[in-house]
Amino acid sequence: MSQFYSSSMALLLILILILGLGYLGNSMAYGSPSETTMHTNNWAVLVCTSRYWFNYRHMANTLSLYRTVKRLGIPDERIILMLADDIACNPRNKYPAKVFNNENHKINLYGDNVEVDYRGYEVTVENFLRVLTGRHEVAVPRSKRLLSDEGSHILLYMTGHGGDEFLKFQDSEELQSHDLADAVKQMKEKHRFKELLIMVDTCQAATLFNQLHSPGVLAIGSSKKGENSYSHHLDPDVGVSVVDRFTYYTLAFFERLNMYDNISLISLFSSYNPSLLMSTAYYRTDLYQHKLEEVPVTNFFGSVMETVHTDSAYKLVPRKDSNEAEPELHQLSHHNERTLITSDNPDRSSKPSSRDERGGLTTSVWRSLHNKMEAIEDGDTFVNYGLVIILPFLGISMWLSR
Amino acid sequence: MAEISEPSNPPLEQSAFDPSTMRKTKPGFKRLILTISVFSSFLLGLPFLWKSVEIYRAPLPFMDIDALSSQLESTPLQFPCSFRVIYVGFDSIAPRVSAEQLKSSILDEITELSSKSSLCGSCSNNYDVSVVIESGSDCSQTRTDASSCSWRCGALSASDFAVSLENGNDSADDFLEVALGGCSRSASGGRGYSVVVMNRDENVEVTIGKYRHAWIVGRISEMEAIPKVAEIFVKLFGNGGREEGLIPGEFMPVGADGKIFLSFNLLNADPDDWIYDWDFQTVDEVLLKPLIKELAPVANVSVESQVLYHTPTSSFSYWDDDQESYIFNTKDLPFFVNSNEWHLDTSIAAGGRSKILHFVIYIPSARECPLLLQLPDGQISETNGFISPMWGGVIVWNPKGCLDRKSKQHHRQMISYPELEKIVEVFLGQFRQLFGLKSDPQHVGLSGTFNILTSEKGFTKWEIDFLSRQHSCFNLHSCASSLGSLSRLVQSLPRMIILDEIGKQVKYSLKAANLAQRNASLGVFDAAAISSRQARSLAEDAFFHPSIMSVSYFSFEHCFAVYSPFFLPVALHVILAALREWKRYKQEHKKYLAFLAKPKQS
Repeated sequence: MSQFYSSSMALLLILILILGLGYLGNSMAYGSPSETTMHTNNWAVLVCTSRYWFNYRHMANTLSLYRTVKRLGIPDERIILMLADDIACNPRNKYPAKVFNNENHKINLYGDNVEVDYRGYEVTVENFLRVLTGRHEVAVPRSKRLLSDEGSHILLYMTGHGGDEFLKFQDSEELQSHDLADAVKQMKEKHRFKELLIMVDTCQAATLFNQLHSPGVLAIGSSKKGENSYSHHLDPDVGVSVVDRFTYYTLAFFERLNMYDNISLISLFSSYNPSLLMSTAYYRTDLYQHKLEEVPVTNFFGSVMETVHTDSAYKLVPRKDSNEAEPELHQLSHHNERTLITSDNPDRSSKPSSRDERGGLTTSVWRSLHNKMEAIEDGDTFVNYGLVIILPFLGISMWLSR
Repeated sequence: MAEISEPSNPPLEQSAFDPSTMRKTKPGFKRLILTISVFSSFLLGLPFLWKSVEIYRAPLPFMDIDALSSQLESTPLQFPCSFRVIYVGFDSIAPRVSAEQLKSSILDEITELSSKSSLCGSCSNNYDVSVVIESGSDCSQTRTDASSCSWRCGALSASDFAVSLENGNDSADDFLEVALGGCSRSASGGRGYSVVVMNRDENVEVTIGKYRHAWIVGRISEMEAIPKVAEIFVKLFGNGGREEGLIPGEFMPVGADGKIFLSFNLLNADPDDWIYDWDFQTVDEVLLKPLIKELAPVANVSVESQVLYHTPTSSFSYWDDDQESYIFNTKDLPFFVNSNEWHLDTSIAAGGRSKILHFVIYIPSARECPLLLQLPDGQISETNGFISPMWGGVIVWNPKGCLDRKSKQHHRQMISYPELEKIVEVFLGQFRQLFGLKSDPQHVGLSGTFNILTSEKGFTKWEIDFLSRQHSCFNLHSCASSLGSLSRLVQSLPRMIILDEIGKQVKYSLKAANLAQRNASLGVFDAAAISSRQARSLAEDAFFHPSIMSVSYFSFEHCFAVYSPFFLPVALHVILAALREWKRYKQEHKKYLAFLAKPKQS
């Protein structure tokens, strides 16, 4: 009896130590209402999770995708680019400030207008999940946020080194498939996307999608469980591999397209040849409602703006009092490139009404003064005159006080 | 280890005494007590450890959150609207129809019309109708319950109204606002909408004013006016003149924090040809200020402006000889906005959850001027503009006589004020379109054409009422769903830290939501809109609180790996020692018992 007691005590202790110190439930029960909203905009989140020179190809992969989606119409402000960005200006780079994804060196991926949103050590799992879920500190600027809404299509591209159900971030952390699924779930919950395409180029990429359960998500990975994803070719000039196979053939597919093309997703997905890839591209469609044959690739890789013609203007009632303002009076040198007026700002103009009670004389004097003030358009010269007038007063007062 | 406490007894006389199975002295407690005390001090420390690794979770009112969402689901928001019909100048018509009769037929008509629309924010569920027949000397009215204000006989004189009608619709509208407004304001919260039906010897004309009144004037009988009256109440005053399918209801061009930034961009496509500038300060002060003030219940609107240069479109137009201008087809409009060259989103004031609406005034270059938009049916667009839902709008503005102007002008020119006014009118049309409202001066309904007066503020009072109702409804639902998601998230992650701030935000959000519901049921639409906006914004703040993130990649294995090196080695030794001592003591005690039992047997 006491034997049993003591051993059970020990067991209990260990149990408390194990369980009590940190239980984390991964399952979140979210209701997901199905909707039929209009597709209004496109976003892209492109992540390169590696750093260091020998991972040149991962940065080239990401920059190539960046170039492609930009060419197909997604504007920079709607692309979140996460990049270690230590390749272009690496001392080992034979072509400083240039990045190529092919040994023919035809396309410089690091040309003008590359806007990296998260650079270097900012590429962390935490920041990545913050971008997806939208939980930022207040001070984070708009350009670093994924400001998508219920009508957005999002492309999430990731490349780096990974394994069974994880993806390494800069050799220091890892993103687990649970984390990714949780983030996607929370995005769905807050209507942060309508459709999401996750594209991953890493070893055993397909395992990363195992935990996904949110509707509207389409996922494609470069390799199945147990398979490696290989680089395409080595550039003898640069000295390292410059592109991965999966990304290489994705780019080869898109180079033929422009933003007006209407090619379906299935033709992209079926264009991957396992013998060329040396791995099997795996795509998961059970969460996606539409038929891939009917979905054009530009739904994710491009941006086609939904437009509605404005049929009629809103005729303002003719205003008798204010129409006579002469716009020419304002000097050109005074124009502001950017002004900000908040609605809750109180009027800056002086208000004479409060003094009206003092009596007719003051009122009329004040009014005339006010009118004169209003008439003076150039404030600077007025102030200058005032300063000049002050000078004699100063002189007189000094002379008197002597 | 047992030999220390084991007393070295000399062999005794009793040959039966076996030192391996029995002992003469009581076993010592010392070692047992030592090990047990170490072990129990560990046990005592456990609660402290438990306390020290416990995470702080502010208590969230889960019950209230569930109550809010279930309440919103079970009983949709009811916005009370009170409608009043006033018949003026119906003396001559012979068989008098009583006010009660008219009321019942109007009610029938309204139910028939409103069954088709179930948009949240319309008055379709909760309205009351009163009918007044004012005819010179005598006036009769339907019985009214205490909540709506009773009609003062003679408040509206037919002759005065006729005089004001002579001076134009605007003065008639103002006259009605003065004559009837007192009532509609003092009514216990409920905003009264009224339709005046006046019998006169002329063609029937229906006009909707810019406050909360409409009037039907002409040769019309009491019963003939009823379909028109009902349609005005349901389609316009109740539903904002909005039609289904224009823009889906869920697209609210208001940010989650209740703010809108109107970003006005003047785009000079090619400054080598000509450069235009504008006096935006005046536009803002004269034309936009009233609009912003009027929209205050629905959103907190801020205005920004910028002038950009070198901004070509991403698609091209073609020359048309008939129009003598360049034509851009509307089917190419999705490719008009060149997001890579137009750097519109440069606002530094807008926060992450505010909505920025871009309004672009595009000045084409000499190569494609004048540039006109062509509709699919071949007609040329009147407004030369288009919108993109949730994004904003584009207006193409062609400088005068740009076709003949071949010389390059490098000095800056100003867009004249009348031109700017026209641009602002198109902008207002687009802005209203983004809100789902139409800007036609005429509404073609089932029972005829209605003239709609425009307000210089951009939105009429009854449209603002409708927007307030609709946004209160949307905001409350969004608030309830955000709080519901948060509570599910928090409950499913028992190890997540919940800061006091989140608890406060949730509390205030619920408070604001309840206030909004109360205001809505009282019929104070603008106050309901404001507090519902607060509720939504606070709920979003709580859901998107940055501290919630910290738990996400913190797995169970991680915890085990962190804590086990600290505790496992020591804990194991202490537990094993205590166990062993306990075993030894029991064994020795058994021996002693065996010794005690022995002499009795022998």
